[in-house]
Formats: sequence, C-alpha cells, structure tokens
Amino acid sequence: MKPFGLAVRLLWRDSRAGELTILFLALLIAVTSSTAIALFSDRLERTMTNQTAEFLAADMVISSHATIPESWLEKAKQLNLAQAQTAEFSSVLIENDELLLAGIKAASDLYPLRGFLKTTTSDYADEAIEHKGPEPGLAWVEKRVLSALKLNIGDPITVGEKKLAISKIVTYEPDKQGDIYSLSPRVIINKQDLQETGVIQPGSHVHYFFQFSGEQAQLTEFKRWVKPQLNLAQRILDIHEDRPELGSALNRAERYLGLSSIVVIIISGVAIAMATRRYTERHLDATAILRCLGCKQNEVLWLFISQFLVLGLLTSAFACGLGWFVQEMLFKLLRNLLPQSVANPGWLAVFFGMMTGMTILIGFALPPLLRLKKVSPARVLRRDLEPLPTSAWLVYGLAGGLVGILIWRYTEDLNMTATIFCTGLVLLLVLGLLVYLILMLARRSLSSIPLNWRFGLQGLLRNSRATTSQILAFTITLVAMTLSFTVRSDLIENWHKQLPEHAPNHFALNIFPEQLPGLQTEFKDNGIENSQFYPVIRGRLTEINNVPVQKIVSKDSQGESATHRKLSLTWTEKLPEDNKIIAGTWWSPEKKPEVSVEQKLADSLKINLGDKLLFVVGGQQLTVTVSSIRSLRWDTMKPNFYMIFSPGTLESFPGTFLTSFYLPENKKTYLNQLVKHYPAMTILEVDLILKQFKTILSQLTEAINYLLYFALMAGFTVLFSAIYSTLDNRIYESALLRTFGANRSLLRRTHIIEFALLGLVSGVLAVIISEGLLFALYSIALHMDYHPTYYLWIALPLIGTFALGLAGCWGVRHVVSSPPLQVLRNF
Amino acid sequence: MQTQQSRNIIVTENLGKSVKTSSGTLHILSDINLQVASGESIAIAGESGSGKSTLISLLAGLDTPTIGTISLNGKSLTSMDEDGRAAMRNQLVGFVFQSFQLLQGLTALENVMLPLELRGDKNAKNAAVALLDRVGLSERLTHTPRQLSGGEQQRVALARAFVSRPAILFADEPTGNLDSKTGTKVIELLFELNLENNATLILVTHDQTLANRCQRIIKLDAGRIV
Repeated sequence: MKPFGLAVRLLWRDSRAGELTILFLALLIAVTSSTAIALFSDRLERTMTNQTAEFLAADMVISSHATIPESWLEKAKQLNLAQAQTAEFSSVLIENDELLLAGIKAASDLYPLRGFLKTTTSDYADEAIEHKGPEPGLAWVEKRVLSALKLNIGDPITVGEKKLAISKIVTYEPDKQGDIYSLSPRVIINKQDLQETGVIQPGSHVHYFFQFSGEQAQLTEFKRWVKPQLNLAQRILDIHEDRPELGSALNRAERYLGLSSIVVIIISGVAIAMATRRYTERHLDATAILRCLGCKQNEVLWLFISQFLVLGLLTSAFACGLGWFVQEMLFKLLRNLLPQSVANPGWLAVFFGMMTGMTILIGFALPPLLRLKKVSPARVLRRDLEPLPTSAWLVYGLAGGLVGILIWRYTEDLNMTATIFCTGLVLLLVLGLLVYLILMLARRSLSSIPLNWRFGLQGLLRNSRATTSQILAFTITLVAMTLSFTVRSDLIENWHKQLPEHAPNHFALNIFPEQLPGLQTEFKDNGIENSQFYPVIRGRLTEINNVPVQKIVSKDSQGESATHRKLSLTWTEKLPEDNKIIAGTWWSPEKKPEVSVEQKLADSLKINLGDKLLFVVGGQQLTVTVSSIRSLRWDTMKPNFYMIFSPGTLESFPGTFLTSFYLPENKKTYLNQLVKHYPAMTILEVDLILKQFKTILSQLTEAINYLLYFALMAGFTVLFSAIYSTLDNRIYESALLRTFGANRSLLRRTHIIEFALLGLVSGVLAVIISEGLLFALYSIALHMDYHPTYYLWIALPLIGTFALGLAGCWGVRHVVSSPPLQVLRNF
Repeated sequence: MQTQQSRNIIVTENLGKSVKTSSGTLHILSDINLQVASGESIAIAGESGSGKSTLISLLAGLDTPTIGTISLNGKSLTSMDEDGRAAMRNQLVGFVFQSFQLLQGLTALENVMLPLELRGDKNAKNAAVALLDRVGLSERLTHTPRQLSGGEQQRVALARAFVSRPAILFADEPTGNLDSKTGTKVIELLFELNLENNATLILVTHDQTLANRCQRIIKLDAGRIV
C-alpha cells in the first residue's frame, strides 16, 4: 500500500462527496481567526509600541547622570541606530528683575527621534508640529516663562552665560519625564549652546537622556549589549515603568488580545472536535470495509491522519490568506483612529497562525480520529459493532493540555495559567458529571410526560454520554464568547472610569502651608474640582532593617532608581482613593511611626511588613515601621505616592502641598490669575498627555471591539456548524418517525424542545463556568474588581436556547418537508 | 494426509465463539470442524440466529474465535495478530455482502479500484474498468452508489470482490436485499466469476435453491453443524 497517494485520492473523493465540508469550515474558521488575530495583535502591538515610544521621544532611552562612554554611541552607530541626546538641569533665570527656577533642556539636532514637539508664536496662533528642537542661538520657552520673567517672543533670555533669542513658545514636549515634582517651567535650547552657558561644571546636577531608534532586532541587540555595562546611576527607560499609566493600559490591552486568541482557538477547537467526531462516525463503515479489504489498523489510522494533514495544510494555506485579508479589513475599519503609520504585517505572525491551525487540528481532531483504528472489520457483517470511544483522558487531556499551553504562551504566567486552567477544568468536570446524572434521572420520568416532550427528551437521553459531550462543547463555546464580551465591556468601562470626563488635567505643586486655606477657598469659589491636598516632604530612603538600600536592590530595577533620588513623601489620615491595602493594615491605633509602601516598589526593594526603614529627611534621620503594602492606580491623574507615612511622623519637617484639579479648556485664563496670586506655586498642565492617553485608549477600545465582533462571529458560525455535525442521527430518526405516521407539527415541536433544551442547559452551565473563570481572571490576571454579571444569568440561557433551537430546527427542516423515503435513502 | 491437507484451503478445528452477557455466557458457535478444498463451493445454511454470519466472519478473519483454530491456505489464522489477519485478507480473500457495503462517497469505478489501490497496484484503474465491463456496468463507472439500483450496486460489489483475484470468496446473503429476478442474475454472475477465477466460494444463505447450487451444504442450528 502506498498510503500517502491513496490518502490524497481518498481525500479528494471525500471532498467531492461533501464529507469534508463541516470539517473544512471548522478548520477554516480556526486558522483564519488565529492568523487574523495573530497578525492583528502583532501589528497593533507594534503600532502601539511605536506610538508609545513617542512618550519617550525614542524607541529606547538610557538615562544617566553623566555622559555615557563613546564606545556605546559607536556601537549604536554600527547597528544603524539613530541617536539623539538631551541634557536636563535646573537653572535660575533672571530677567527684568524677576527670578525663575526653570527646567532647561538642551536637545541635540535629531531630537525627538519619535513623536514631535508643539510650538506656537502667540496666544492666537495655531500650534505647529516640530520634528526638531531650536537652532543654535535660539530658545523655545513655555508660556509661563514669558509671563514670569515679563518677556515676549524675540526678546533675549540668558541661560547661564549664554544669551539666546526666544523664538517660539513650546506647548508640548513628548518626553516630560517621571518625577513631576521637579518639573519647572521649560526652556529648550540647542545642545551646541550648552557648553557656552557655562552651567555644566563638575559636580552639577545634570540628567542626560541618550535616545536611540531603529529596527527592533538592532535595538534588542544594543540593549542586550549595553545592559551589563550600565553603572548604578544609569538605566534604560521603559514605557511600562516610566509611564505606568500607559503601561498598565497597554498591558491590559495586550492581555485582551491574548485572551481573544485563546477564545477563538478554543471555539475553533470545539468545532474541529465536533466535526471530526461526525467525520469519524460517518467513516466507521468505510473503515470497516477498508479493514475487511486488508488494511492494517495502523495503515487505516495513517490513511486518515495523512488526509487530515493534507486537508490541514491546504486549508491552512488558504485560511492564512483569508486571515491576512480579514486583518487588513480590520485595520481599514480602524484607519481613522490609528496613527498615520501602521506597522507592517509580519510573516512570523502568518507562520504562527498556520502553526496554530495545525496544532489545533492535531490536538482536537486526533483523539476522535483514533477511534477509527479500533473499528472491527466484522462491522461489515454487523453494523451494530461500534468501536470503543477513545479514552476520555486522551480526548480531554490532549485538548486540555493544548489549551493550557496556549494560555501559558499568552499570559506567560504559570500561576495564572494554572488557576484559569484548573478553575475551568474543575467546573467543567463537576458540571459535566451533574448533567450526566440529571440526564440519567430524567430518563425515569419520561413515561409521564406528553408525547412531543417525551420524543424531544428522548433525543437527548438516548445517548447520555454523547449528549453530555455536546452540551459541554456548546457550553465551552458560549463561555468563550461570554468571556470575550464581558472582559471587553469591563475593560472599557474601567478605562472610562479611570479617566472620567472631568479627570484632573492640572497638577498644582509647591503650595506652601500658609497658602493652603486661601487656595482651598479660591478653588471652592471658582467651582474648581480638585483632589485631596497632600503634604509633600522630600526625603531619601537609605536603609532597610539597618542594611544600606544600595546593597539590597538589583541593578536596573525600579527600586534601584528610587534609591538614587529623593522621594516625595506624604502623610495622611485616610487611605487615598484608588489605593488598596494588599498586606498589613492601615495605621495602628498606637500611633507609632509607620509607613505604607507601594507594592511594586516594595517588591523591588524586597520590603516586607514590619521592616524598619530609615529615611533621611531635611538632614535628619527618621525610622519607621512598614505597616502596610498598597497597590495603587497610576492612571488616575491624581497625586500618587510610593511612601505614605502615618500622621504625626512627618508634620515637623518643612514641606509643601500638592493637588490635582480639573480646569475646562474655556477657563484656561484662570491659570494666569492663579499664578499671579500664588507666584511660587508650580502649575503643571497635563491636558495633552491626558488627551494622548485618551486617544490611545479609544484606539485600543475600537480594536478590541472589532476583535470581539470577530470572536462572536466565529463563535456563532461554530455553534451552527457544530449543531450540523450532530444532526445525522436526528434526521434519520425523524424520517423513521415520519414513516410511522408522525406528523410535521409533532416533529417540529419535538425538534424545538430537543434543541432548545440542549441550548438552555448549555446556557445555564456557561453562566456558572463564565462567572467562575471571570472571578479567576479578574482577581489574578487583570487585577480588576470582580462583581457578578447579573444580566448574564438571563441572557446566556436565552441566547443558548434561541441560538441552538433555531440552528437545530433549521438543520433538520428538510426532514419535515421531504418525503421520508428520500431522507432514508440518503443514509 | 499431507496431500489432503494441502488441498484444503480452509480447515477449522473445534471452533467456538461465545460472548458474556448479563445472564451468563452465550455460545454462538460450538465444535465447528470443517475442511474446505480449494475451488470448492460451500453453502452455509440455517435459520436466523443460527450463527451463519459469525462463522463466516471467523473464517474470513474478521473476528477471533473464543476457542479452536482456523487455518487459511495452510497458515494458522488464529495465531496471527490483527495486522497479520488484515494482510491475509488483502492477499487471499474477497467479500460480497447482503448490504453491498460500497463506499457512498466513491464512484463505482473508485469502489472497485480500492482493493488494488490498497495493494499499491498501479494497474488498478484498468483492471477495475475491465471488471466493471465484465459485470455490465461500463456505462456507470462514474456513478455513486446512490445513483445505482440495488442489483447494480451488488454487481459493483462483485466486481470489487473479484478485482483482486481472491483465492476465497465469502458471500453473505448476496441476494438478501434484492428482488428474486435481480437476485438470480446476480447469483449467475457470481458463479460465473467464481468459475473464471477458480476461487473457493463460501456462501451464507437461508435460500435452499441457492444453497443447492453449491457443491456442499453445511447446515447450522444453534451454533452447531447438523
């Protein structure tokens, strides 16, 4: 026997006979969806990464307190990476007898490598987008500099010893860095003028940013090369760490993309498993004949596996093209929302889509296919000789293992994978068993119910095992669709919540204690919504449990950077809104000196409850005990603190106050009044950052919506094709009933009852499993608050009942309209 | 003795088949001792449930006995594993069934080609066309079983059975699903082909007239030869 050639011929013959249609459709959906989502996610992620790179003004940034070795820049040059540099420092400017502490940024010619600056020349002129900073001899300043120093465009301004001409007002710079408390009114100059300012002397406090951009592979190589050489004062900036509000939004979106992929894969897997099951059942006779004609068991198996592989490869190739087309369409739909330049589709993603398709095919189709190996050749004489079903362990084990691996691949978190997987598996097993028992019990009450109900129920009870697996398959599909829908709704709602319409868009810093009552009254009188006023005291963390912090932290960590600079410390009686205690308790009643530490910093510095932290504040030492670890949301645009002290600890140290407030666009002029009343106060306008953040969120929202529609579409297609794959026996039995005189309306009612019951049970199970999984997902994976979704308890059983009822009745419609003999002959 | 044994293409000794049921062991066949000479035609007759189909499935290696031995063409079928029996069927045996057992998705030609294709025979198509011509279906090569009448389907099944030139042909109630006129034509054809191929014929039937056409009749009753 030449199995491969024969397999291809048999495949061709089967396809011509229409035996492969459902399997082909299931596989087509699987590969098209996985390719489309893989491509879409990959492109979207890269587009978003490019866009968020704008927040760093480059793809990669090394921050340093001194210049970096020339060899590093040389290496970047060899790797064809574009380079730019900025140096930032504070300097006091004196003009027209006015003093101002300004934040000077000296930018090299290519700055910014990513994103743009925005400038204007007067209050009324339009903003212009600038892809490079000022020329030598010129300075761009923030408007506040002009008002504070009584200057106008065209006036000279002296930075250190260098006189420069003010040519533009800068209204936006992409890379306003981390520590917002040190932000002062900005002056941007050309780096070539830096030397002549004479400001940079040995020992001056200058922060250098070395920026790089280029191809991902080269950037990765450069990063890998440079990382081991960084000293304690140097670090690579990362969008997730340095812009946590964006980082967390992106993280969640990435996880949603991953979830969508898993959802589509599971849905497709279920479809493939059901289609293969039908294929197997329809090939039992043919297999018996092949066996009778002398085909060995392994030859039979290989014959069918080869057919599946050929079918898989051909379908996958076609579906990859279709997947490519689908994601192009998705991007076309999103065109108006996405940035101008969208990353190109990657071939790797296509390859991955194809591999996913083949893996799903093997994982979900192999176990039902193995049953063919067990077909007895004696079946040619006795059709009732059914081969034993493949071991349930193998069927569910292989599919479950595959799903587990996929979840792990997307989450890259073993704990999370185990939790999601185990929750799903336990619920599925328990509920599956429950359904089986209910079906067995229902059998007893059959005789006492009306005929059409009895026939309908009999349809489900005849083969309890098959019915249970059908219910579980539909349940899994409904669960997958529900997860996709609910997580998306909650994700979007969460984003809207964190950035409500009146989210604070200004920060007010350096408010002196004596100004506080006046400012509070002024805000109140002007109807300005502000967040709490927090005292801010600058201090440095030096020791943890008597061990110097430098010895504890790992290089390049968040904790490491925190030990290099002064932290903004605060104290408060009440736990701030959006903060959550995840370990320990808020202040103890004994009023001891205590501190509450932010979770990520605590992890990085290996701080535990009860640890003694030594701070140096205003030249004095202060020891406090860690009483709690807090998680907080960086994305709320409200003041957030790594360290919050208990009342009575910091009051004696000099400090200022900080708040954030919302000011509508048409009330902007109020800022001038505010600055006049409180000249020492620093106002930080974050409208543009906020706007950009909102744009990204709405892009992600739309992308996620389209993914959901796609997943739902795939889900419903699968539900329908899965229903079709279970129809053979039902059609045959209905035709038999008709020959015995069952009228059409009885059959119709029977079908409606049978399929609607199937859908109802699947819907109820789907709600229970979905809620269980959502709880696990929210509390572990997405770090969102879980609350039961009440409408699901009504919606899912209804959707299940109607969708399956309609699909089933549609599938068997010709049984009630065609002559029964015609139907029987086709079997 | 040696000569006699070599002329016997099928030999069974104390063959028995029983199955365990909830009410105890059910003996379907017991003490079947049989010798069939090469080229002989034998009818296995008996009432429904007498064990005819079980016997034929054991003789053809489609099923395994609970007790006793079977040798086919001098080789012990009972000591072979499933793959060995499959190889034996492929080389030695042809089948005709009551329910035709054609593959529904395949055309008449493809159904007939199948046994040769399984052997890797490159001449499968020509041989199948010739045999379909021989059974009078040269005009129906591309028709699927659903497009053929019962008699035509059984003729395709005959062509499929003889295309691999089997030494033994097992026929299980070959006319059971046909009207008497069509059945007679099919039986004529079966005997003609059997003669042309010099094959041993084991025919299961409860039709006495048909049984009488064979050289020997073995009658089964409650699983025993009577």
